[in-house]
Amino acid sequence: MHYGMVVDLKRCVGCQACTIACKSENGTPPGVMYTKVLDQVSGEYPNVRKQFVPVLCNHCVNAPCQRVCPTGATYKRDDGLVLVDHDKCMGCRACYVACPYNNRIFLKRGRLKQGYHGKVMTPYEAVKYKEHQDGIVEKCKFCSHRVDEGLKPACVQTCPADARIFGDLDDPNSTVSRLIRSRGGVQALSDDNTEPSVYYLS
Amino acid sequence: MKQSDMVAQKDYWAKSACKMCIHSCAIVAHVVDGVVIKIEGDPDNPSNRGKLCPKGQAGIMRLYDPHRVKTPMKRTNPQKGAGVDPKWVPISWDEALSTVAEKLKKIREDDPRKLLVAINDFHRIHIWGWGSAFGTPHYFSTVGQYCGAAYHPINGTLDGSFASVNDYDHCKYWIQIGAGDGFSSHLHVAASIKRMASARVDRGMKLIVVEPRLSSGASKADEWLPIRPGTDRAFVLGMCYTLLHELNIYDAGFMRKHTNGIYLVAPDGNLLRNAETEKPMVWDSVKGSAREYDAVDLNLQDVALEGSFTIDGVEYKPAFQVIKDTLKDHTPERMAEICSIPAETIRRIAQEFGEAACIGSTIMLNGKEYPYRPAAVNFYRGAIGHFDGGLDSLAMKLINLIIGNIDVPGGHIGVGLDHRLLVINPGKDGMLHPEPHLLHPPYEFKEKPYSFQLMEWYPIGIDPGHLTADNVLNPEKWGFDFQPEALLIEHSNPMWNLSATNKVVDVFKRMKFIVAIDIVLNESTDWADIVLPDLSYLESDLLVCIEPPMVTGHVYRRPVIKPLYDGRDATDILTDLADRIGFLPNWNGLLNFTTFLTPENYLDPNRKYSNLEITDRMAKSLYGPEKGLEWFQANGHTTRLQTPEEMYLPFAAKGLRIPLYFNFIKETGDDLARKMEAGNKAWDTSSYLPVPIWRDHHPLHNMPPEYDLYAFAFKECQTNFSESTNIPWIDEAISCMPIHLGVMINSKTAKKKGIKTGDILKLESPFGEVTGRASVCEEVHPDCLALSNGMSRWSQHPVGKRKVTTHFNRLLPADVKWTDGMTGHLETSTKVKVSIISE
Repeated sequence: MHYGMVVDLKRCVGCQACTIACKSENGTPPGVMYTKVLDQVSGEYPNVRKQFVPVLCNHCVNAPCQRVCPTGATYKRDDGLVLVDHDKCMGCRACYVACPYNNRIFLKRGRLKQGYHGKVMTPYEAVKYKEHQDGIVEKCKFCSHRVDEGLKPACVQTCPADARIFGDLDDPNSTVSRLIRSRGGVQALSDDNTEPSVYYLS
Repeated sequence: MKQSDMVAQKDYWAKSACKMCIHSCAIVAHVVDGVVIKIEGDPDNPSNRGKLCPKGQAGIMRLYDPHRVKTPMKRTNPQKGAGVDPKWVPISWDEALSTVAEKLKKIREDDPRKLLVAINDFHRIHIWGWGSAFGTPHYFSTVGQYCGAAYHPINGTLDGSFASVNDYDHCKYWIQIGAGDGFSSHLHVAASIKRMASARVDRGMKLIVVEPRLSSGASKADEWLPIRPGTDRAFVLGMCYTLLHELNIYDAGFMRKHTNGIYLVAPDGNLLRNAETEKPMVWDSVKGSAREYDAVDLNLQDVALEGSFTIDGVEYKPAFQVIKDTLKDHTPERMAEICSIPAETIRRIAQEFGEAACIGSTIMLNGKEYPYRPAAVNFYRGAIGHFDGGLDSLAMKLINLIIGNIDVPGGHIGVGLDHRLLVINPGKDGMLHPEPHLLHPPYEFKEKPYSFQLMEWYPIGIDPGHLTADNVLNPEKWGFDFQPEALLIEHSNPMWNLSATNKVVDVFKRMKFIVAIDIVLNESTDWADIVLPDLSYLESDLLVCIEPPMVTGHVYRRPVIKPLYDGRDATDILTDLADRIGFLPNWNGLLNFTTFLTPENYLDPNRKYSNLEITDRMAKSLYGPEKGLEWFQANGHTTRLQTPEEMYLPFAAKGLRIPLYFNFIKETGDDLARKMEAGNKAWDTSSYLPVPIWRDHHPLHNMPPEYDLYAFAFKECQTNFSESTNIPWIDEAISCMPIHLGVMINSKTAKKKGIKTGDILKLESPFGEVTGRASVCEEVHPDCLALSNGMSRWSQHPVGKRKVTTHFNRLLPADVKWTDGMTGHLETSTKVKVSIISE
């Protein structure tokens, strides 16, 4: 079993439903986005091209973040998910520097004391911020808590365009494997030999 | 499950309906220990099928917004103004309601027309008429300017629909003009994005997007055709010319069988009628004579669509021939000059479109054969929100009619306002009854105007609420002899949503009393004397179904938790006020009509009914005595996919034709012209035309030359509706999106003017000025500036406030001169001159 995601750039319309679904599912504090969609514009008017590129932790097979982690806080599960053990992370940020994708976020100490409306926490924030810890590094978990219950990650569940597809890369018959084969899935910065578990179709 | 049992649980998912935009996607909310921790699309609903847009996901942060109105409040600061703290103090419901009732009762006894009303809650269409039950006809908020005063009436006139969209399941060549369907907005966006993505990627549908800005839709299109604002009709009429005069591509079968294209038209533009029966006549080319359109032995194949026939010395032509002749000077070359899309492109797109239509082909669905026309033009406010917007809409319909794709698989499909699907009733002349007024009945014509929005002089239009301020401030213009004294606002923000903001401010200043019902404070409630807290959508009950493409039925909006604060449902508030003011029987009578009650469920005129009781009666009236509120609490929704019989050719099933030639519009205009002339009123009815044409005197394109750049506002999926702009998650997401951060200007235009990204600009139109931060880019037509609505708020709410506020509406006019004569739509683009304030 090796969980991975296929992002179909043809389907994505840049609506940011995934960005907000991720916030809502994971209750991330202000300034923390495990995933977002970048707008990429190229060309000159009128021959302009705009592409929407969802980005998130790539859950690399050869994860540089895991290699540099001095405490073993960043670990890889058998199913391919790269996760951070909050208790072991000491916030040294070596992983933050090592990640070539800029997908790790350091939560400064005290950052969880303020919500989106300052010190007044909404009931939602009061519940959800308890799932976080300040002074450590966080990132997309492929919604491991959902995956463990047999659900899809929140961004995949909501994506109105079905541009995000989640599944088993080890299974040649899974939708993700078939899409990668038939449409030529590409990994971000593949020259870095990180072997991401996120593939892009264009 | 019963409400009390549901909320008593520790951990549950509650089905409900979203209200983060005008539509009503089905949702499920996850509640743990009384706190909503997640909202997802309802996977059981055949419309959005588990999907939800960013606004819907962000509903939690609206529910728990600490800036919500928590209790009735009154202002203690008599000074009013933008940015002036009203110094709210909480008061009891009884004090609040009795104060409001006392003020409004006095007004009603004096002259009910002295009350202005701004009720904009699109989900609760049943309360829109509260003002009319009170006795006031005014509307002081924007309706048609948001969506389509020039859109909905033409949909209703064509096929009894309220909206329309192309057939996601069968279309293969989709031209999208000034619309966000399938990408950013309109008609259940999450459901539509899914269907559009599937059509584009899985079925390989070709998509052409025509817009001045590279929107999300244009980004995904096979081809983006940048166009000048307010010239979409020219592009489409150039296509019509190519099809009719160069390629000879049109669906003669459809026109003969399903439209009035065969009806003979006299030189004055009116139909030739049998002198005795008054039935329209057609030309029987075998018999060589004019005959009644429904003559028993008439063979449709023999009826002339083209030609010219002289009867008693007068020359008559079939309506289709009239259309052809009317457009004979709308060459692609001439249209290209107007819209900036090259003539060869107009020709090429017309040819691709005409060929993709597969005229003559059919498809079997559920064992029944239908015409198959997998090409269609879809359009919305960007295309029609203009002076002459009615003609814009007619042109968009005409290009579809030419290839015979109206309400057939693959084509351009009508969408109902609610569960009613299309309203198909027999009209005269064998035609479908035109339905331009699905929101409320038309206003009776009077020579002396009585509504400040002049609805009585727009017999086809939707309330031009933008005219109210001008008429309050200049009553002598049309002869108003009374002045408003009070304003009631419910879920509306006229200060922000209307144009010519300075005029709106002046009207607010004149009000002796303002009451607002809402869940958060906004630019308008800042001026209120009393604010009453409504319940948020996650705390209230409603059966809702707004413009659903492909499906029909209701979603039950239910409180997913107990209400957080001391709010009350707006329906209950308005019922209470109607009772206290003394017009409960009128209000209950109106509710019988607006909630579709059947006689056995009619409300007793003198009893106060709760919103819950009304909802229960509505459910039973629509779905039978077994399907009351309890049934909906157990089952969530009645939404189901429309059957092919419901979706396709519903007018033909009732033996009715639809217009190819819009004589109804001409007749309405002629009638209005006669009435206005009799009253000695100078009123322009020249746009009530049966065939859309380009008219060069369009004021937008004839502004003084110093206003050298077009300016228009746009929205994307995140910012569609002001509901979302002060929600922190949305604010955070759009803060990473360059399109929402500044005034978009094409790099070549910027270079000529010495403008760089980040410069603070002053934009001046003849009607107002705004400041904005320059964002130099490639994604906009060089003649234009594009302004996101994401930077338009200035309320006291701390979220979404920008250092530089660019409130586009200040640049727009708001008077009759800039309003579409046929439909009352305001011109929603303008032209500006730009200067650099600071670098």
